[in-house]
Amino acid sequence: MSGQSVDITSPEANGKPVIEFKGVSKTYQNGTHALNDINITINQGEFVFVVGSSGAGKSTFMKLIMREEKANTGTITVNGFKLNKLKRKNVPLLRRTMGIVFQDFRLIPKMNVFDNVAFAMHVVGASGREIRREVSKALSAVGLGDKARSMPNELSGGEQQRVGLARALVNHPDLIIADEPTGNVDPNMSYEIVSMLTAINKQGTTVLMVTHDHSLVRDFKHRVIMLDGGRIVADNAAGGDD
Amino acid sequence: MKLSSVKYLTKEGFRNTWANRLMSVASVGVLVACMVAIGLAILISENAKLALGNLEKQNVVMAYMKDYTWAFYSDNAKDAKPADSSSKEKADKNGIKSSDYVIHTKEEAELLCSEIEQLDNVESVEYISGEEGLKSMKEGVLKDQEQYFSFLDEKYGNPLSGAAKITMKNMEYFDATLEKIENMEGIDVVQSHGDLAEKISAIKNGLAIAGFWIISILMIISLVIVSNTIRITMYSRKLEISIMKAVGATNSFVRIPFIVEGVLLGVISAVLSEGILYFCYRVATEAITKTLGTTDIIMYSELAPVLFMIFVGIGIVAGVVGSAIMISKYLHKEGSEFAAI
Ligand SMILES: Nc1ncnc2c1ncn2[C@@H]1O[C@H](COP(=O)(O)OP(=O)(O)OP(=O)(O)O)[C@@H](O)[C@H]1O
Ligand SMILES: [Mg+2]
Repeated sequence: MSGQSVDITSPEANGKPVIEFKGVSKTYQNGTHALNDINITINQGEFVFVVGSSGAGKSTFMKLIMREEKANTGTITVNGFKLNKLKRKNVPLLRRTMGIVFQDFRLIPKMNVFDNVAFAMHVVGASGREIRREVSKALSAVGLGDKARSMPNELSGGEQQRVGLARALVNHPDLIIADEPTGNVDPNMSYEIVSMLTAINKQGTTVLMVTHDHSLVRDFKHRVIMLDGGRIVADNAAGGDD
Repeated sequence: MKLSSVKYLTKEGFRNTWANRLMSVASVGVLVACMVAIGLAILISENAKLALGNLEKQNVVMAYMKDYTWAFYSDNAKDAKPADSSSKEKADKNGIKSSDYVIHTKEEAELLCSEIEQLDNVESVEYISGEEGLKSMKEGVLKDQEQYFSFLDEKYGNPLSGAAKITMKNMEYFDATLEKIENMEGIDVVQSHGDLAEKISAIKNGLAIAGFWIISILMIISLVIVSNTIRITMYSRKLEISIMKAVGATNSFVRIPFIVEGVLLGVISAVLSEGILYFCYRVATEAITKTLGTTDIIMYSELAPVLFMIFVGIGIVAGVVGSAIMISKYLHKEGSEFAAI
């Protein structure tokens, strides 16, 4: 989507780097060292689990990618945007290249399913016809084609998260960012959601997902990055046991 | 910005106002109160100005001239022209020579009048001859006083000099203009109500200052009210805003519905205020004309367009500025931070 040039440092499987961290550290205002000297490259088309104990720095890592927080040192490149040089007013452009899935779903209670998804398209100025077409497609893709008129409180947790997923997908992002998307849904639904993410990934979208669920990591064989105390302590290309 | 976005955002603004209707009604109420007060202040001060203007028009200055009568009644005649060699002319039966006074003919009197008229601050000048003056004075006084004036006239001749009846443009420069007239060749004394003029311009200034403060304070109140409403709307929609920002909405995109809401509140209030004022003003003026019998009251229709423009202006300014203040406080927050407020 974005046209900026990126150096290709790692000629990995599926293509060019989508996310690159070089010597990145993040210390919060109150002095907490959340991340220390992170160096990592994630390539186009990869599916990455980010794991680690509570307070390890997983959410901070995701927030740096979304540019909700800024790194203190080091450089971050996401979808061709050099984040340390990105002006505040251009942050929306970065955000439009990614789809974000929230742990708490973040659906607007007084809007029905269709409008909740359409909302993300209004924001980027899509026309009414485009919106009708793309929202229907996205809802079918997550298996909720028949729930378009339902209100969020009429849906199960898993269904609500699928609406959240449809909203993240509807603008065709290059990258999906999900911080514990299965944290509030039951185990069966968790499997379903990760299956859907895997299917989306198969079509070329890079997926980055934080999880505490070991069984998910074990059963879906994806790359696993493990954080501990703000450092990367393991990076297994093919998933597997802890 | 695309047309589809403009439509969407405007709709969102209306939706905000409706979703927040209790708050909207409350703030429209306060805004209407402010606007009606502003409107009343304007209507009252405009009427006061009109009344004061009428009063000013009646505040004429009489400048009496040094003509024959002046010479007759004043001792000045004797010392004005000391008996010099050229006084070959004969004194009349009253012992007054033509050289004893300055204004001899009607033409000279009118020339003096036109000189006065040329002064900057003079609105109009009318020449009133002694005869005319006496006539109007007789008409204006009571019966036995009239007899007194007639007696004077018969015995000694008309006691009044010719005079210039002067009205001024601006009462602020009353004294300066008066002094200029007094110093003119051919003017004896000037009769005026300078204190009245002073009072009128003091009242006018007072009105202007009071009006300025009333309107400023009410404007500030309007601004605070609208920004507070916007703050509450933003708070109630923080989830939406955080999602909007997460999916890449620009700040101006987030802002527009709130500005629309503010402007909408202002415009609704303006329409209501205009209606309320119209009704109140009609009732009030009817009562006043009935009891006082004056018809010198400004018609509402004369001021209605101006008032409406002022109200809509206040509404728009309050909406734009009020929402801008609140939005700038909130928009620095990013996605999930915003939801955490
Ligand atoms: N806004 C903040 N201000 C200050 N400190 C913060 C902030 N956010 C996180 N931290 C701290 O930074 C460290 C890393 O936090 P982070 O949220 O990244 O952990 P996490 O791996 O996501 O944990 P969890 O699994 O519990 O979600 C923690 O010590 C946390 O207390
Ligand atoms: Mg976390």
